[in-house]
Amino acid sequence: MDNYRHEKVQKFEEFVDRRLKPDLVRAIAERDKVFEQQKNFSDLRKNIETLEKNSVTSLRTQVNLGSEVYMQADVPDTRRIFVDIGLGFHAEFTWSEALNYISLREEKISRQIEEYTRLIASIKTQIKLVCSFIMRILAFFFLCHLLKKHSTA
Amino acid sequence: MEMLVKGTVAPLSSLFGAEEAQKAAKRVQDTIDEKQLELDRLRGFISENANLINTVPFGKAAFFPGRLIHTNEFMVLLGEGYYAETTSKQTVEILKRRGKNLESQVDSLNAMMLDLKAEASFFDRTASEAEEGIVEIREDYVEESSVDRESEPVSSSISEEDNKKVKIEDEDFARIMSRFDELEKEELAAESNNEGDEDEPTKADLDSFSDKISLHGIKNPEKPESRKPMEQAEVKKTVTKASYLDDDKQYYQHKDFACTGLTVQSMSEDGSSHSSSLDPNVKKSTEKTLLTPEMENNLQAFSSLRTQVPVQTPKPPKFDSQKAFTGSIVEHADNIETSSRKQTPSQSSGSQPSKPVSRFKMQRR
Repeated sequence: MDNYRHEKVQKFEEFVDRRLKPDLVRAIAERDKVFEQQKNFSDLRKNIETLEKNSVTSLRTQVNLGSEVYMQADVPDTRRIFVDIGLGFHAEFTWSEALNYISLREEKISRQIEEYTRLIASIKTQIKLVCSFIMRILAFFFLCHLLKKHSTA
Repeated sequence: MEMLVKGTVAPLSSLFGAEEAQKAAKRVQDTIDEKQLELDRLRGFISENANLINTVPFGKAAFFPGRLIHTNEFMVLLGEGYYAETTSKQTVEILKRRGKNLESQVDSLNAMMLDLKAEASFFDRTASEAEEGIVEIREDYVEESSVDRESEPVSSSISEEDNKKVKIEDEDFARIMSRFDELEKEELAAESNNEGDEDEPTKADLDSFSDKISLHGIKNPEKPESRKPMEQAEVKKTVTKASYLDDDKQYYQHKDFACTGLTVQSMSEDGSSHSSSLDPNVKKSTEKTLLTPEMENNLQAFSSLRTQVPVQTPKPPKFDSQKAFTGSIVEHADNIETSSRKQTPSQSSGSQPSKPVSRFKMQRR
């Protein structure tokens, strides 16, 4: 009987450790990725807005060639910009089109973040639920033990 | 005859044949085509090379079509936000050096890991051996060699456990004695250097102060009753008392100031302006932090005293004990202070001063 209880508790603990906690970690990592995307796009929007404000048509910047070695690069025409639209495809946009697209994309990203947040919260509640359940089981066993002692005494 | 000659020519032409000639022509044509293709490809390369068409990244999610210009001007990050403008050759050399450095780091790490592995295997082995056999070995050791030899000089009634203790003490004693010898050698060396440099000998003394005291203590009791477990505190007391008694009047005067502070030595040096080797500013500041005003009075009174001491007493034996006492107290504090002081500016210089923002970053934002 004691062994059986022990097994039960262990099973629940394993569920928490092997299933729920990795799930939680994975969900948090995913959400971080989406956060990064959001930051990228907001940066891009700001940059395009500054370009628009200053009406820059040609740009000279430094490109990272790898291992922090930079070389000058020249952009003859900045009015056309290639924006990442996912799956490795880049679409050619004008500034206004790009801004439109970015706003849509940001909406979607914020929806995704909300989704992930909800998922994380639910996993956390599940973990807490199982933990409290384990505690209850243990308390119940303890009570049983006490009762048995009393009855025998 | 002429006909015959002509006749002989005709078969030769028929031997080559029209088909053969056509084949040869075709082959030549093929090679020409091949070369033409190659030429086209090379032309493509040339135009590509001339244009260096590139995509200039703009943020992480977008890029512009553009091209590299000034391809012999690189900016290489040297670290800490500093960039160097270099040519392509220099850049390649820098990157090669960087690669070599990284390789050496990898090598050293590998060597370290090997060492640690060896250590771990050694510990494992000793652990497994300890589980099995070490009890037997110990019994042998106690019974045969050590008990007989050790128990006789002390007393025969002592139990085995006491013997073990004695043994351990013996080992300690031997270690302490060896250390003592080392220190004496150091001191001799320090004394020879003493005339030129005042700071170094004291440092050597100071580091080994506690050791010396315990050594004195053990040395004294050794004569009357050897190898009894003594507590260190007692040892120290007896030692200091003994040294006080041994030394001359100046040492008594010194005793009064023993409690005054950690920077006695440095104060005296400063007051007499003997030492120019260390930075005086550092010393002064340390004194201020450590001393209360009353103490300073004492010390100044003392410093005049102390300055005379090295001049008057060049004798080796008394010099030792004095040095050991004063030096150690002084220098520990001094060392710690100076070292901490040395560290702090370097840290602040590393982190605080405004990092020059890289040009690249500035342009980008």
